[in-house]
Amino acid sequence: MTTYDWLLFAHVTGAFALLGGAVAAAVFSLSALRRERPSEIAVLLGLTRVAVVAVVAGSILTLVFGLWLVHEAHYGYGDGWILAAIALWIVGSVTGEAGGRRDARTRELAERLAREGDAATSELRARLRDPLSLALSYGSGAAMLAILVLMVWKPGA
Amino acid sequence: MTPLAFLRPSSWDLPLFVHLLGAFGLVGGVLATVTLAAGARRRSEHAPLLTSLALRTLLVVVVPAFVVMRVGAQWILSKEKYAENSDWVGIGFGISDVGAIVVVALAILAWRAARRVRAGDLHPRSGTLVAGLGSLYLAALAVAWWAMTTKPGA
Repeated sequence: MTTYDWLLFAHVTGAFALLGGAVAAAVFSLSALRRERPSEIAVLLGLTRVAVVAVVAGSILTLVFGLWLVHEAHYGYGDGWILAAIALWIVGSVTGEAGGRRDARTRELAERLAREGDAATSELRARLRDPLSLALSYGSGAAMLAILVLMVWKPGA
Repeated sequence: MTPLAFLRPSSWDLPLFVHLLGAFGLVGGVLATVTLAAGARRRSEHAPLLTSLALRTLLVVVVPAFVVMRVGAQWILSKEKYAENSDWVGIGFGISDVGAIVVVALAILAWRAARRVRAGDLHPRSGTLVAGLGSLYLAALAVAWWAMTTKPGA
């Protein structure tokens, strides 16, 4: 195997961790949206932490080995599709992190309510369906999907 | 790796995108299933919810993603005739073929686990098998993407 092969494998492994983790996080979050009992919402949002580990590890791997690949494959760091991918990576990471922080606060509320009688409240329902939280999470996913489009089509390469 | 494996015509981009979408969905769906099945063992008070969600994830995410991944793979191969007999395609299709059986087995085991949990057995063996077999399948998928990226024998 050449250096390029190893770098591409590490980069693609990062992409699988990142996007696979994002899919898993979406499964847990969407399942939590359909529940009423705070204890069930708390356990489902708690599982997203497993997915977040994959997403964070994948984000780092894709960026580090992606930049290394640019050098190894003799692309230019100033190429439009690479700059666009880096910009989207930053947007996706920032929005994903912000959405994740809001979800963590929702999980903490659900855990507290679960300890205090496990009765659903309008505050918890509102936080689960908070348009800003949903927009941040979906926006992060859309940015990652856009990066995948750039990686496949490589416009201008 | 040959230059042919490195450079691909733009007409392969859409099939590759479809294949990758399915593959990412498959990995994410299996990861979610394994996490739910393992979570059901650790949080027995929520085992009925988590085992039923593991089954639903298999049916709603894993199975459709597998089909999309496989359709994308066939689509690429129809354009990539030179690769038909290469090792990396053989590895990919081998793991995919066995994977179809594994996905069916996972669905049966997840269904059994959900049924057993509803019947009062909060730690069914079938639930443990979903987590174990799902983890092995994730490892096999990693071998598949290693073969797809490094193309041994190309």
